[in-house]
Amino acid sequence: MNSAPIPESPADEYDPVFLHSRREAAIIFGLWFVALLWSVPYCYFNGFGKYDAATFETVLGIPKWLFWGILVPWLAADVFTTWFCFCYMKEDDLGEAHEGADLAEEVAEMHAAERKEDRD
Amino acid sequence: MVDSLPGMLLFAEDSSTAVLVTFLVYMLGVFALAAVSNRLLQKKSFLSEYFLGSRSLGVWAFALTFAATSSSGGSFMGFPSKIYTHGWVLALWIGSYMVVPICTMGLLGKRMNQVARLSGSITVPDVIRDRFHSAKFGLLAIVLIVFFMSFNLVAQFKAGAMILKTLLANMEFFLSGVTAFSSATGGMSWLQSPEGPSYVLCLLVFGIAVIVYTTYGGFHAVVWTDVMQGIIMVVGVIIMLPLALGAVGGLDNATQELAKQTPPYKGTATLVEVIPESQPYVLPAGAWFSLPANGDAKPRLFRTTKGVSVSADQSRIADVPILEITTPDVVKRLLTGDSQVKAVALEMRLRLEDVKVEKYKSGADEPGVYVTGPGPSPTDPNGFLPLSLAISFFFMWAISGAGQPSNMVRLMAFNSSRTLKRSIFTVAIYYTAIYFPLVIIFTCARILMPGMEGESDRIMPAMAVFLTDHAGVGWLAGLLIAAPFAAVMSTVDSFLLMISSALVRDIYQRNINPEAEEKIIKRLSYFFTLVVGIVAMFGAISPPQFLQDIIVYVGSGLAACFLAPMVFALYWPRSNVQGCTAGMLAGFGAHLGMYVTGMFVNGSFFQPYQLLNFDPIIIGLFVSFGVTYVATVVTPPPPEELVRKYFYRKT
Repeated sequence: MNSAPIPESPADEYDPVFLHSRREAAIIFGLWFVALLWSVPYCYFNGFGKYDAATFETVLGIPKWLFWGILVPWLAADVFTTWFCFCYMKEDDLGEAHEGADLAEEVAEMHAAERKEDRD
Repeated sequence: MVDSLPGMLLFAEDSSTAVLVTFLVYMLGVFALAAVSNRLLQKKSFLSEYFLGSRSLGVWAFALTFAATSSSGGSFMGFPSKIYTHGWVLALWIGSYMVVPICTMGLLGKRMNQVARLSGSITVPDVIRDRFHSAKFGLLAIVLIVFFMSFNLVAQFKAGAMILKTLLANMEFFLSGVTAFSSATGGMSWLQSPEGPSYVLCLLVFGIAVIVYTTYGGFHAVVWTDVMQGIIMVVGVIIMLPLALGAVGGLDNATQELAKQTPPYKGTATLVEVIPESQPYVLPAGAWFSLPANGDAKPRLFRTTKGVSVSADQSRIADVPILEITTPDVVKRLLTGDSQVKAVALEMRLRLEDVKVEKYKSGADEPGVYVTGPGPSPTDPNGFLPLSLAISFFFMWAISGAGQPSNMVRLMAFNSSRTLKRSIFTVAIYYTAIYFPLVIIFTCARILMPGMEGESDRIMPAMAVFLTDHAGVGWLAGLLIAAPFAAVMSTVDSFLLMISSALVRDIYQRNINPEAEEKIIKRLSYFFTLVVGIVAMFGAISPPQFLQDIIVYVGSGLAACFLAPMVFALYWPRSNVQGCTAGMLAGFGAHLGMYVTGMFVNGSFFQPYQLLNFDPIIIGLFVSFGVTYVATVVTPPPPEELVRKYFYRKT
C-alpha cells in the first residue's frame, strides 16, 4: 500500500457517522469526568474520617454523604443518559455488512501475488 | 460417610427442593435456547452467525447480553460479600456504575459497529487487522487475547464451580450427590482435585452445561441465555429489596443499627468435646459459641469460620478458625433473643478454650466505621477504600470496561444505531435497579445475619433463604439463588466463544487457509469451541492459586492493551499501524511492569506496585494513550486508501 499524506479536506468530506460518533464519545467522556469530579471529592470530604453520632445524618435511611455523593448523581446520570439517548444521539445508518469482504480482498491479493510470481 | 450435627443445616428442606427444581428448570431452558439457536445456524452465513449472531441483535438481546456478560459472578457473590464486610462505603466503590452503561456502550459502540460492517470483521483482531490492513498487528491482537483469555477462562470455570458449590453447600441432595460421585470416581486420579470432590462435581456440572450449549448454539445461544440470565438477576434483586427492608424494619433503622457496629476480632480457638461422640461428624462453619460473663468481663460470643471434621476418637480440636462478635448490642441480642439460642445450645456438647483473637488493622473498636469511609479492613491500615483507590475504581469500571474485547465483540453485533440508543438507556436503568439496591440489601444483611464475615461469600444464598423463609415464601429461594449462577455462566460462555473465534477465524481462516470451505470452517468451529472448553475445564480441576487476582490482572491488562489503540483507530484519521502497535505493546508492558515491580517491592506478583498510589490499570492506560499518540506523530501517515475507506463519506 502507498504511504501517501492525507489530503487536506474540508470536514464535510468526512463520513457523518464518524463525526457524530466522535462528538458523542467526547460528550460521554465528559460525563464520566463530571461524575468522577462530583462523586469522589464529595464523598471524600463529607463521608470520610471520624464518625460522630451527633452529626451523622441520613436521607431516606441512606447516609447523607452517599445520598448526595452517589445516589443523586446516579439518578442525574440516568436523566442525562435518557436525554442523550433519545434527544441527542444521532440515528445514523451504519451501512450494510460486507460479510466476507476482508477475506475476499486478501484472497484476491494472494492470487494476484501468485500470478505475479508466475509471470516473473 | 460423615454426618453434619443435627440442626446445623443452613437450608430448610423446602428451600433445598426449591433450589433443585429451579436449577433443573433453568438448565432445561438453557438447552432449549441452544437448540433454537442451532436451527438459525443452518440458515445463515455460518461464521458470522456462529461468532456474531449475524449482527442482528435487537434492543433486548443486545442490552441484556451486554449487561449480563459485564456482570460476572463477582456482582452476585463477591460484591455482596464486600458490602457485608465493609459496609456502606461500597456504594462509592461501585459508584461509577452510574456512567458504566453509557461509557462502555457509547464511547466505542456506534463507530465500532460501523467499521466492522465496512470491513466484514467478525472478531476484535479482525477489526484491528482490517482497519490497518496489517496481518502482523492482527496477529499481535490474537496473541494478547488468547494469552489473557486462556487464563481468564480457567479462572472463570473455577469461579463458576466455586459459586455452584457455595450455593449448594449443606443442601441434602447435594451432599448425597457428592458422596455418590466421590465413591464412583475414587480410582480416577485425573478427577481428583485439591479442592475436594464437591468442587469437581460442581465443575463438571457447570462446565459441561456451558460447553454443550455454547458449542451447539454459538453466539445466539449465548445471547439468549444471557437474556434469560439477565432477567433472573434483576428479578432476584427486585424481590429481595422489599423483603430485606421489611425484615430489618426500614432502611433508617438498619443504618442506625449499623452505625453502632464494630468489626469482629478474628483468631483461633480449641474445640473441646463435653459429651464424647461415638460417630465422626462435621461441625459446619458458622457454629455459635459463647464464653459466659466472668466477674467484670461481659459474656463473649464467637462463631466458627470453617467447617471442622471431627473423628470418633478426637476430643480436642486445636486451631479452629473463629471470629468474635464485638458489638455489645448484637452480643446481647443474640445471647438473649430467640433466634440463635438453639445454636448456642451446641455448647452442651462442645465448648471453646484457648481463644486467641486479633483486631482489624483499620476500624477496630470504632463505632460508625460501617457507615463512613474508607470502611474497615482486616488487612490494610489505610482502610478498605482510601481516596486513591476510589479514583482507581472510577477508571476501572467505566473506562477499563470500555476496553474489554468481550464487550467490543458485542458492540459489533447490534443491528442499528436505534438499537444502540435504546440499549444504553435500558442498561442504565437495569444497572440502577441492580447495583444500588444490592448495597441496601447487604447492609441490611449485616443486621439480619451477624457474624458471617468468615464465610461472607455465602451471604447471597444465605440471605436469599433467610428472607424468603422470613416472609413465608421459601419456594422463591431457588430463583434468587439462580441469579449468581446465571451471572457467572453468562460470562464464561462469551469468553469461550472469543477464544474459539480467535483460533478458527483469526488464525486458521485468515492466516492459514483463507479459501477453506464453509463445511470445514463449520466443523472446526464446533471442534475448537468444544476442545477449548474441555481443556479449560480440566485445567480448572487443579487450578493455579490466586485465581481472583488473575481475573483482576486479565481484566485490567486487556484494557491497557486494547483501549487506546481502538480509540485512536476509530476516531483519529491520522492513526497508523506503527503508533497503535507501539501503544498496545506499551500498555501491556507498563501494566505488566507494575506487577513485576510489585514482585520485588511487595514480595508477590499479585501485589502490584502502586505508582503514586494508583492501580496498575491507570498507569497502563496513561502509558498506552501517550505512547500511541507520540509513536503515531513521529511515524509516517497511514495509506490514503485506508483513511478514505474508514473515515470519508461514501460516494
